[in-house]
Amino acid sequence: MNNYKLNKVIDDSKKLNILATLLRLLPLLRAEKKRIFLATIAVFANSGLNLAAPILIGYAVDNYIITKQFHGVLIYAAILLVIYLLSLVANYLQTMIMGTVGQNVLFSLRNLLFNKIQSLPVAFFNQNKAGDLISRINNDTDKLNQFLSQGLVQFVANIITIIGAAIFIIIINWRLGLFALIPAFLLLIFTRLVSPWIKKTNALSLNRVGALSAEISESLNNFKIIIAFNRRDYFRKKFSQANDENYSSAIKAGIANNTLAPTYGLASNMAQLIVIAYGIYLISIGNFSLGLLISFIAYISRLYDPLRQMAQIWASFQTALAGWDRINIILSLNSDLPTLTNNDGEVINDSLLEFKDVYFKYSEGKDILRNVNFKLQKAKTYALVGPTGGGKTTTASLMARLYDPTKGIILLNGRDIRSYESGERVKKIGFILQDPFLFSGTVRENLLYGNEKLHNYSNEQLKTLINKSGLSELLKRFDEGVETKISGISGSLSLGQKQLIAFMRAVLREPEILILDEATANIDTVTEKLLEEILNKLPAQTTKIIIAHRLNTIASADEIFFVNGGEITHAGSFQNALSLLLHGKRSS
Amino acid sequence: MKNNYKLIKSKTKSNIFSLLRPYSWSISFLVLLAISSSGLGLFIPRIIAKSIDKFVTNNYSLKALLFEFGLTIIAIFILTYLQSIVQTYSSEKVARDLRNKLSNKISKQSYSFVESVNASKLLTNLTADVDSIKLFISMALATIFSSVIVIIGASILLLIIDWQLALAVLTIVPILSILFYFLFSKVKVLFKKGREVIDWLNRVINESILGSGIIRVLDSEKFEHDKFSAANSNAKNIGIQILKIFASLIPLVTFIASLATLTVLTLGGRYVIAGSMSIGNFAAFNSYIVLLIFPIIIIGFMSTLIAQASASYDRISEVLDAPEPENLGTDKSTLNGDIELNNVSLSFNDKPILKNLSFKIVAKSKTAIIGPTAAGKTQLLHLLIGLIKPDEGIIKYDKKNIQSYDPKTLHQQVSLVFQDSIIFNLTLRENIAFNESVNNDNLEKALLTAELNEYISSLAEGLDTIVSERGLSLSGGQKQRIMLARALALNPKVLLLDDFTARVDNKTELSILKNIENNYPDLTLISVTQKISAIEKYDQIILLMEGEIIARGTHETLLETCPEYVQIYNSQKSTNEYEQ
Repeated sequence: MNNYKLNKVIDDSKKLNILATLLRLLPLLRAEKKRIFLATIAVFANSGLNLAAPILIGYAVDNYIITKQFHGVLIYAAILLVIYLLSLVANYLQTMIMGTVGQNVLFSLRNLLFNKIQSLPVAFFNQNKAGDLISRINNDTDKLNQFLSQGLVQFVANIITIIGAAIFIIIINWRLGLFALIPAFLLLIFTRLVSPWIKKTNALSLNRVGALSAEISESLNNFKIIIAFNRRDYFRKKFSQANDENYSSAIKAGIANNTLAPTYGLASNMAQLIVIAYGIYLISIGNFSLGLLISFIAYISRLYDPLRQMAQIWASFQTALAGWDRINIILSLNSDLPTLTNNDGEVINDSLLEFKDVYFKYSEGKDILRNVNFKLQKAKTYALVGPTGGGKTTTASLMARLYDPTKGIILLNGRDIRSYESGERVKKIGFILQDPFLFSGTVRENLLYGNEKLHNYSNEQLKTLINKSGLSELLKRFDEGVETKISGISGSLSLGQKQLIAFMRAVLREPEILILDEATANIDTVTEKLLEEILNKLPAQTTKIIIAHRLNTIASADEIFFVNGGEITHAGSFQNALSLLLHGKRSS
Repeated sequence: MKNNYKLIKSKTKSNIFSLLRPYSWSISFLVLLAISSSGLGLFIPRIIAKSIDKFVTNNYSLKALLFEFGLTIIAIFILTYLQSIVQTYSSEKVARDLRNKLSNKISKQSYSFVESVNASKLLTNLTADVDSIKLFISMALATIFSSVIVIIGASILLLIIDWQLALAVLTIVPILSILFYFLFSKVKVLFKKGREVIDWLNRVINESILGSGIIRVLDSEKFEHDKFSAANSNAKNIGIQILKIFASLIPLVTFIASLATLTVLTLGGRYVIAGSMSIGNFAAFNSYIVLLIFPIIIIGFMSTLIAQASASYDRISEVLDAPEPENLGTDKSTLNGDIELNNVSLSFNDKPILKNLSFKIVAKSKTAIIGPTAAGKTQLLHLLIGLIKPDEGIIKYDKKNIQSYDPKTLHQQVSLVFQDSIIFNLTLRENIAFNESVNNDNLEKALLTAELNEYISSLAEGLDTIVSERGLSLSGGQKQRIMLARALALNPKVLLLDDFTARVDNKTELSILKNIENNYPDLTLISVTQKISAIEKYDQIILLMEGEIIARGTHETLLETCPEYVQIYNSQKSTNEYEQ
């Protein structure tokens, strides 16, 4: 079985350079190419218009106010108004388009991530915490969104502005220009040096956010135990510990993120100092003029102002990358239950379900099943009995292909079970799990959950069907029938009620093989008789596999298997099974 | 008493700034740092101008320039750096404290509160909502303060130069305020909706994880995808709506501010042409107006952070202001074990669950509760352990109302073995000795009674093995025995069993029941069960159906008097024969 522990999957992508990491974001943006292009145009239009305005004002002052021609002032005022309006539009478009890009990417990334998680096997969920997964789907994707919608276009526009300004400065006076660029080069080196640190602290911080969220989910989902066992402090303590860890890592990340801005400010001021000091020296040796110096100072701020902005953007970029890494770990996982193609789907024999030399163990620990061999025939009822921890649920899980055997093969209708598409397989196999789970919603939604055939049935059609299958007696246990509301994770329903719904859900699907894993354990014995009648109403060719401790549940089985210590043996007669159960030696 | 909580909008409209009161020192320091660093920044143009002037008048000294300029920029660097550190610390501190405050509050609440408010919402409260407040402090707070000061300063300067023109220019301030106010209230509603969608997303994800087994059994990934996608599209729509407001806010603010520049050009130009204003003052006016506009735009940017933070704070306040369970009892006496119910009724969402129950249980006796699924048996046990409160009637322990007992003392002496297995991601020892007062002897006795010793000794790390709820190391029966051991480890006076042996094989079940009898002879036992064979010798059997007591008595009496009981008995008869 694969290792799906997200926090332990080794990340070998650490040594990538900046360009390569940037390129990794590209697939996300491919669908948004057009928008990004438009937004970039809007950004340039906007900054062009913003630059033009002061020049026009200066021109109006020089040529009309000083010469006292008010109509000229008005003409320029009108032109300015138009420019302001245009910039209003450009500004709107720029934010709107890029924001939409961010939202689109966020939307598709969340869907992608959720679908990926849905494609992974049960083992993945057993190894990861709900809260941490929630945090990855909601929080980490949002970090990417923040960078994309607020930083990306600015990022590109700034780089272009900076390069343009640098060239301009060197053209005016290459010596002064090069000197003025020294702080910028220093910044480049500084940024390269600190970026891994920023990313690392942010990655740690995001992990801690995930851990915090996991702690909250675990405690709140199990709140009744916390109350009943006087452990309100458990939640407080565990939470406060996770909170403190989150605090210290967030401070580290915050300090790392905030080193850039003051340093960029310092560099910008240093550049001004260099220009003024060296500029005056150049003037004093006759190589420069005062007028040029004054405009040079203005151009220097054209270079360094966007650089200051870059400080913020760069930090949010590093955070986004850290989030992207956490997301990528999930996206790079693959299900270890692939569907076999090519010739492996050939029919080997005519048994309905067969285990051939099956071994199984979970990722850690010892073998749960050892060298298991048995054949099941159509239209019969089988029972699996044995002590707790003997491997009954594991056997059932293998039949439903929640896992694959470590060794050996399972045949369904004489074909390797792995060669079935999952949709095809689940139509044949119904499996009522030991722990029934209900989704919040109504009884109807839960009954028809995952049932594409009946999904669009009206309540009347459903009622007829329920009557026909003999389920109406069970439905009476719910005050408002199919419209009874089911709320919350544990909600107000007892285990027995949940088992009833899970039972009805499985029966309505009419599977060829129906596996009941202690599916009626918490249902009273009178109702259970009713369930038996319902099972008998199922089409005659249905094969039933029953796991139960209650003996009357298994009394009617055609054949009984005794599951103990990883081995499955024919128990022979009911009496023999009983004596095995009550007096037999157990090896688990 | 209602067990259904609706979070109400807090009446005392607690402002987000009230949250910051305890931190006024560090916040003031932060603002001071921000103001002084931006104040110092204004010196730089002056130093440059002075140097040029001195150079022209031949007074220039490189040393003086380096000294003055260098000192200023180093001071600015230190101030801004310090500001960033203070900013980080204070925002994280506020966030940490707020989270702790919330978790403290939640931990004091009742089970019904957490159930009805929904864990997914509380999760958003503790994570995303706190984060937006943090963002507000770290990004917006200092900037807003210094921006306001710059705006006031620039306005005063403008007024001094030419009050008429200044007033004309400053009309943009009220216009912008109205704009801000209007959009602010709109965007705040949207942010709140946005958070509610996050609650929804959390719920779908949470359920898809907890229900991962059934989803794979039914191959219903597409169903889940549709559910998630619906919530996700909703999140996107709200995101776009917020974006629309935000995308129009900033350009509008910039545009209105630009109108001020335009006013200066035309009106000021007219004054200059008319000779009522000097060209120097006109130039000064133009440069100050830039000074005025920039902070206004900054505030525009920050306003969304305020709106988001204040929407989040409203949501958090709803939880913080929710009433805590009142009138907790103080009685700490040791229980004898007599239990009495007087006319107890319970309903959920107006549906009656339990109707007018009255019965007595004598200390150290054994009582069984049987009845069909959905009869209200589990809810009755929840009432007996005080997880929920009855709508009507009184539950008494030793003739005193359950509510008069200190809840801690009560839970120390009355323990419940829940029906569903809940295992924390801790070691087996921590799971079983979950209540911290459990000593080693009691732990040993509990393990022995629950027949867990053999299993534990088969583990390499024994009791120190870490288990997890969805981990596969445990079978259903093992989980149930751990749940039993957890309850027994308290060495309780009253033990409530909720159908706990449903997944334990018969042989183990029989020995466990015998063990309880031998090892805990003074226990008052109430057992919800389906199996009559196990309870035939009990002192009292209560038959519960649809929330009502149908019959009460010993096995023999019920067999003679109660047809429903006989029906249940007969349904199990075959089994009974085999087991005897």
